Amino acid sequence: MGILDETFRVAWGDLVYMKGNMIEVLLSSLVGPLLYLLAFGFGVGGNMEDPAAYVKYIIPGIIALTTLSATFSTVSMKILVQRLFYMSFDELLLCPIHISAIILGKLVQGVARALISCTILLVVGWLLSPQVVISPWIFVLIIVASMMFSLLGLLAGMLTNKTQTLTLFSSIVIIPMTFLCGTLFDSSTLPDGISFIIYCLPLTHVSNLMRGLMLPEYSIGLDSIVIVAIYVAVLFSICYYMIKNNKC
Amino acid sequence: MDNIVEVRDLVVRFGDFTAVNGISFDVREGEIFGFLGPNGAGKTTSIRTITTIQKYDSGSISIGGHNIRTDYLEARKLIGIAQQNISLDKDLTVRQNLKHHAILHKIPRKDIDRVVEETAHILELDDYMDHKVMNLSGGWKRKASIICAIIHQPKILLLDEPTAGLDTRSRYMLWDLVRMLNARGTTIFLTTHYIEEAEALCNRVAIIDHGKIVTKGTVDELRDSIGRITVDTTSDDGKRRMEYFPDIATAKEFAHTLGDRLYNIRRTTLEDVFLEVTGDKEGA
Repeated sequence: MGILDETFRVAWGDLVYMKGNMIEVLLSSLVGPLLYLLAFGFGVGGNMEDPAAYVKYIIPGIIALTTLSATFSTVSMKILVQRLFYMSFDELLLCPIHISAIILGKLVQGVARALISCTILLVVGWLLSPQVVISPWIFVLIIVASMMFSLLGLLAGMLTNKTQTLTLFSSIVIIPMTFLCGTLFDSSTLPDGISFIIYCLPLTHVSNLMRGLMLPEYSIGLDSIVIVAIYVAVLFSICYYMIKNNKC
Repeated sequence: MDNIVEVRDLVVRFGDFTAVNGISFDVREGEIFGFLGPNGAGKTTSIRTITTIQKYDSGSISIGGHNIRTDYLEARKLIGIAQQNISLDKDLTVRQNLKHHAILHKIPRKDIDRVVEETAHILELDDYMDHKVMNLSGGWKRKASIICAIIHQPKILLLDEPTAGLDTRSRYMLWDLVRMLNARGTTIFLTTHYIEEAEALCNRVAIIDHGKIVTKGTVDELRDSIGRITVDTTSDDGKRRMEYFPDIATAKEFAHTLGDRLYNIRRTTLEDVFLEVTGDKEGA
């Protein structure tokens, strides 16, 4: 039995729930990004010199943003509820399943939500701005980025013991990332100190990479690939350590 | 009879607090073994440690010959557990929960539906299979949780306070289930703070208090250990007092010395043993 097989076994329950609640899942994943597109693309962008150029600029940003919004809160809340209220997270730890498969299995729901939502947004984006390039690498990036943010959600769900703490974490980490990490405007225009903090955050690099893949005038930064890879490795290792040592 | 669980000198600490303090015991294949103790005695910590969820500081535990520290994946294959808090996914139906447990425990895919339906049928859960867990009553939730725990036919089923908080009817329903599972060959290790539950179900009992096992044996052995016959009376200050005797003759002899005081001569119960060994004799 390989890790992939075990991953599916862990993910089965979450996928069954997702399948039975697909409309709810899609609405909760898509309403936010579509509102950003409407409000920023057409509202704010409408007052700019070249509104079409701004819409084209923010489409990759909003798709990057969706890899965060479709994953973090779902995964973190699900883990928190399964740990503290349903106690079903303990059941996983009792099964003859490897820890890596438990972690990967818990990411599947987030990755699936992000893939579905981002694909819909890609189609909407392409209809609004046919100049954007759609390639298979975009899907690779969506999978990697949604895994990274799902890992962040898993970690937050394992670390917190109250829903209020999770809300606070969202308010001080996730919401600032949403707006400041180059999704809706160029973060290099921010003051130096803030720019450095923004540079260290993972969504900045997902936005940069998405823009590099979708817009020919932008390049793909090697630093962004390395930073995303480091985030994935570090977050995975922390989750592994916490589960192995019963710290969750 | 072979031992399926062997616990030796187990110590579990949480910071400065020692929850389990050097306990040793065996669970024999085919029996119902009860861990009886008041709230906070260390029962849940012990069961969580045996099931590999909780780390321990020293000692050793083996399940079916597999050391749980070095061979935890093999040990887990032999274990089923229904925790004190019902650990099912309450957003899913009973059937979906059973299937998920079957999938997680690596029952071959072609057999999953058959095993789920058969198990549910034998244990009389058919009518509730398509109910969401969140909509079930406490007793049926607990029953579904126990059936999930045995879906992979574990060698030993660990039940942590299986009837805590349930009404009498649900409690009897679960006692019947426990007996049925045991009759079908599953070894059962249960924790409880209900003395009558241990007395009704268990072949052997260990009484745990403040993290230590204070006594263990069959119910009869435990009764004999303090005296088979109890004289139940009231002391001068109005408190209930129990005195224990090996036979009825010595108990009657003692009763005659009580003069006008009211007394009751009866068979010693597990409750008497519990109160005697946990030091709550006078406070009862």
